[in-house]
Amino acid sequence: MSILENIEKILLTEIAVGLADKKIDPEADLLEQGIIDSLGLMKLIDFLEKTFSIKISDEEIVPENFQCLNSMVNLVQQHL
Amino acid sequence: MDFSFSQDQITFKESAIEFAEKVLNKGAKDREGKCEFNRDGWEKCAEFGVQGLPVPEEYGGLGLDILTCVATMEGLGYGCKDSGLLFSLNSHIWTCESPLLKFGSEYQKSKYLPGLCNGTLIGGHAMTEPDSGSDAFSMRSKAEKRGDRYIINGTKMFITNAPIADILLVFAVTDPTKGFAGISAFIVEKGFPGFSTGKPLDMMGLKTCPLGEVVLQDCEVPEENRLGKEGAGAAIFNSEMEWERSCLFATHVGAMSRDINDCIRYVKERHQFEKPIAKFQAISHKIADMQVKLELSRLVLYKVAWLKAQGKRAPLESAMAKLFVSESYVQNCLEALQIHGAYGYSTELDFEKNVRDSIAGKIYSGTSEIQKNIIASILGL
Repeated sequence: MSILENIEKILLTEIAVGLADKKIDPEADLLEQGIIDSLGLMKLIDFLEKTFSIKISDEEIVPENFQCLNSMVNLVQQHL
Repeated sequence: MDFSFSQDQITFKESAIEFAEKVLNKGAKDREGKCEFNRDGWEKCAEFGVQGLPVPEEYGGLGLDILTCVATMEGLGYGCKDSGLLFSLNSHIWTCESPLLKFGSEYQKSKYLPGLCNGTLIGGHAMTEPDSGSDAFSMRSKAEKRGDRYIINGTKMFITNAPIADILLVFAVTDPTKGFAGISAFIVEKGFPGFSTGKPLDMMGLKTCPLGEVVLQDCEVPEENRLGKEGAGAAIFNSEMEWERSCLFATHVGAMSRDINDCIRYVKERHQFEKPIAKFQAISHKIADMQVKLELSRLVLYKVAWLKAQGKRAPLESAMAKLFVSESYVQNCLEALQIHGAYGYSTELDFEKNVRDSIAGKIYSGTSEIQKNIIASILGL
């Protein structure tokens, strides 16, 4: 499973449960759409750190890194 | 697993107890009655090093590791009967100094941390608003970028240290389309144009900790005073809450320990029906339950401190610690009052004050209900 698919899966099953769409547009702004809330972000970071064995610093928790699927993929790739 | 403190950590804790008992308690009762902040005590704490506990020496602090900070704060909680002063100190350290240290630029750290450590500056943070408490990120305060500065408009409420603060970490919305991710944090000095504070609010407890309203009316804040990037406010807030939930409650653990010792002493001396009341299980079981709550509070607190010392994120553990310690503290304070009977209910002793002070712990730094929301959410519920 690719990085994008991994993140998409956790978003659909844990963070944005009940989302009608079964696919997420990689460029869709998840913050503007309210798909990720502050608790969801906390869970997402925990997932990324454990799944990809990376450490995301607090300073990296800014909108540009979590705005859309592609930005999250970029963030993970920077740490691998 | 190693559950022991090092000799240095024990020494810091014992020194803090001795310092607090000798220096901070004199006149505490009078100050409570007058809702008076102990500025002299604040300065003495700075001389002792309290305000600079986690701050590196290059910025005027002691540069202690987190476990030593927790041990020292536990000692202060044991020795100091002025819970308001302890709350002021905790807010200053964990919601102002700590985020400055973690997210601040070199300019910001050099400018503010030495004063915050040596007692000449008092800090805090301004998050809560009249219409946003538990739903903290629904705030209305806005910061609009104009040239090289931000113009902040909004009102903050129940802000710890506001009436006496020299600087506050103010949270405001910079991008309303992004929800929680559109919030930024700013270091606002009391002298900035458009910044004002209200009179101290009269609260049920923690009466020696000044707490009040902050009004930001076209408040001008230089861009260099934005803490972290635009939109980093939620991360800064979550980070400081984790630190606060990990460390502030060390003072509660210290206070719980002192209360139990007071109760044990009392029930051995107090005779009813021709024997010490300690010999009645109705009493001794209360104290046994109090001791269990204290021990479990210690363990959960130390675990969070240990996780933080490893550089790990601990949102679940810090929420559980905050919830358990604050609830246990209230229950123990109520039991201590009950054990002392009418003497406990009397304002001559501190037990009724401790109950009033302890209840605040269930509300600030995220209510008990919000901690349960965090725990449930992390469990996937």
